[in-house]
Parts: sequence; structure tokens; C-alpha cells
Amino acid sequence: MRIFQLQRFSAIALLVFLTIHMIVVHYPPFHIDFAQILIRLENPVWKAIDIAFLGAVLIHALTGAYMVVTDVERVYSYRKPLAWAAIVIGILAFAYGSATIWAFRMPA
Amino acid sequence: MSDNGKHTNVIVRIQRFNPDNDQKPRMQDFQIELKPGTTILDALQEIKTHQDGSVTYRKSCRHAICGSCAMNVNGKNELVCKTPLRERLDKNGVCTVRPLPYLPIIKDLVVDRTAFWEQYLRVKPWLAPPPTVQTDREYRVSQEEVAAIRNAETCIMCGACYSACQVIALNKKYIGPHALLKAFLRVLDPRDAIPGERLADLDGSDGVYRCHTIFNCIDACPKGLNPTEAIETLRKLAQRRLKVEEERLERQKTITEPIA
Amino acid sequence: MYKSTGFISFVLRRFTGVALVLYLFLHMWVIGSALSGPDTFDARLNMVQTPFFKLAEIALLAAVVYHAFDGLRLLIVHYFNVTNYRQSLFYAAFGISAILTIAGGIPILLFMLEG
Repeated sequence: MRIFQLQRFSAIALLVFLTIHMIVVHYPPFHIDFAQILIRLENPVWKAIDIAFLGAVLIHALTGAYMVVTDVERVYSYRKPLAWAAIVIGILAFAYGSATIWAFRMPA
Repeated sequence: MSDNGKHTNVIVRIQRFNPDNDQKPRMQDFQIELKPGTTILDALQEIKTHQDGSVTYRKSCRHAICGSCAMNVNGKNELVCKTPLRERLDKNGVCTVRPLPYLPIIKDLVVDRTAFWEQYLRVKPWLAPPPTVQTDREYRVSQEEVAAIRNAETCIMCGACYSACQVIALNKKYIGPHALLKAFLRVLDPRDAIPGERLADLDGSDGVYRCHTIFNCIDACPKGLNPTEAIETLRKLAQRRLKVEEERLERQKTITEPIA
Repeated sequence: MYKSTGFISFVLRRFTGVALVLYLFLHMWVIGSALSGPDTFDARLNMVQTPFFKLAEIALLAAVVYHAFDGLRLLIVHYFNVTNYRQSLFYAAFGISAILTIAGGIPILLFMLEG
């Protein structure tokens, strides 16, 4: 149940975040470079939004991947180690991604 | 093909498999005369009686209530006893009959339904009355309460939904639409005393959350039942399991009293 | 295979889902170059601005919008009992994602052709 709920709530969050992300970052297509992104990400609110987006997307991706692989009967009995692997990957990816978002600031 | 006295020959293509001789299933064509009102089961009977006695299938009542004759006709699961052959002929006048998919084949059109029945028993398909059953009193259930479980009552356990389920195809540990529909029937029944225990069991990783809402079970059900909606309801109830238990206890205090 | 619109939607959902998970980690690797400073970031971003990646971007857009609208469809099924409209809902989700893919794909193509 917890996995299902995580997936559902992250899905709802993603519908919002992805709409924002698509409009703000990619539409219409334009040339993107560090300076361009910095204009938006200098604002700490945008940093916070992007970190929340990262969290939601990781939860959704990892719970989704977990469900896909445990659907297979042969993998089904390895649910525990797989769940732990997903949690570890999630934490590492979240740390790495947050650090990346944090890195978008004026070069000293 | 017409009813105007002119009879046409049609082909019934049957998947054959004899575990003693065959490595893998093969298809065999049988030509039969299409008479008015012939069902697919009639056609199978005709073939078995007059052409090849070794054609093997399950059937019993011929009235769409025993649940024996679910098979895969032209790719869809259905009861062959209630399906007119005429409606299942393709443009070449061929009707293809296979056993229920995703289940081990015993012989020809007969499949091994062990997993199906094991999952069925696992959800405790029987009614669990309160410990203090009053045998001298009638339990009264309101019309709304009956209406809520109508969806599940008429299941005949034919296995059409089970073998159409894509999750079952991947993983037989999943409880399956048939058993979840039965669990739904018991959980919603006001006479049942253990809805909390049932929901706790369905809450696991092989339970209601393993359903991926593919809807094949609805499409396959010959009785027009709706296992998907039952599963969605169980999901919602499982998330407020303790509340459901409480409400049931409260409801059973008045279950022998007349409905207002 | 038990063929039905449900089956098609399931296969597409799984396929786009797995593709998006793989893309997510690739995306994090590309953007993660920002950790080594603006120059590395711009260099790596230029690596993925070739026509090949632009076309891949359209495929990515298709996967994202299909997965999103398919998911929205399932949310609707969960919160409102509308299983009777399962086929229409699938066609609607598919249609909307096709339209959005075209609407988003054309600007990407134009941007690519302009260089």
C-alpha cells in the first residue's frame, strides 16, 4: 500500500511539476546554456521547486521500476533487497541531483 | 451462411495438445455444417462425436452457469456454450478455439486451474459470521447494501477473467481478479465479521495494488461483472481498514433488527 | 498475448515508463556536469544538441505526454467509477498525447532546422 500511495501522490505532484517544467524550461525551444538557466535558478524559490520536482520524479521512477521488475514471478521473491536497492539509489540520486541544482549560482 | 435452408460448411480450428505425443500445441481444422442455433460448444460436441473422439474439453451444464467451458475463441475468453458459432466466424468462415491462455495445458482445451483455486481459497471465500451468531434471528440486509455487492454475486468461477489478466500472465503469485471480486463480495457484506482481516491480507504486495488496471477482466467476463471496479473499491477500503472494521462492528449491533 | 486496448495501454505504459527511468538518469548525468562548473556544463549540453538528440527529444516528449495522460486516465478510474468508459478514456489519452507531441514536436523541428 505504501508503494502504491507513494506512486500515486508522486504522480499527481508530477502532473503539476512537469507542466511547469515543460513551459518554463523547454517551450518554445530556445538555446540553453548555464547563464540562461542561472537567470531562473538564481531565485531560491525556483531552486526549492526544482528540488521538490527531483524528489517526486525519483520516487515515481523508483517505485515504478520496482513494480515493473517485481511483476515478474522469478524476481518477485527478491522484493526486500530490491526495495532497499531502490531506497539507496533514490537517496544517492537525490543528493547528487540536489547538489547539481545547488551548483547553479554565480561563479565566484 | 443463412437460415434459409441452405447449409454451409464452416471450419472450427482447434488447438490440440496431447502431452503423451506432442512437444508443443498444434492447430487442427475440422469442417462442420453450420446449422441454425449452433453454439461453439455444439460444434465441439459434433466434432467429438462424429469426427475425432480424442478432442478434449471441459463442459457441463450448457446453460452458462457451471463455469466449465471458458475457452479462448478468436483471441477472446468466453463461455463457448453461450456463444453462437455464427457470430465467431471470420471472413473465411473459420472459428479458432484455444484453451484459456497463460495456464498450463493438460490436454487440448483443458487447462490446469490449480493456481486459480489456490488463490480463491486464500481469500477465504466463505462468509465469516460474527462469533455470536443468533440462529433464531434473521439477519437483515438493506437494499442499498445488496445493491453494492450485486456486482460480485453472480460470478460462476469460470476463470475467463483470471486467464485474461496480464498480471497473472507475468506472476501467478498475484491473487487475481476472480478472488479479489469474491473478497470484495465478503468485505462489503454487512453479515461478515472480519472485513479488517480480509483487507489486511489484500493489502500485501500480491494483493489489490498488484492490479495495473488493464481492464481485460471486465472485457473477458461472460457475466458482465466488473472486477476492476471491485479492486478499486478494495483499494480505497484498504486505506481506511480500521474505520471499516469499526463501522462493521457498529452495523452488526443492529443487523437482526428490521430495516427502517 | 491477450489483445485489447487495455493490453496496448499497459505495454505502452511499461515501455514509456522504463524508457523514462533510463532517460532520467541520463538527464541527471548531463545536468550534473554543472557540478564541475559552467564551462563543462555548456560543453556537455552542446554534446546533446545535435539533430540526432533533437529527434530523440521528440520521442521523449511523446513518451512523457503519453505516460502522463495514461496515468491521468488511471487516476480518473481510481477516483471516479468510470470503468464503463475505459475504451473512450484510452482513445482520449492516446489522442491528446498525439496532439501534444505534434504541437511540441514542430517547434523542436523548426528550432533544429534553424540551427
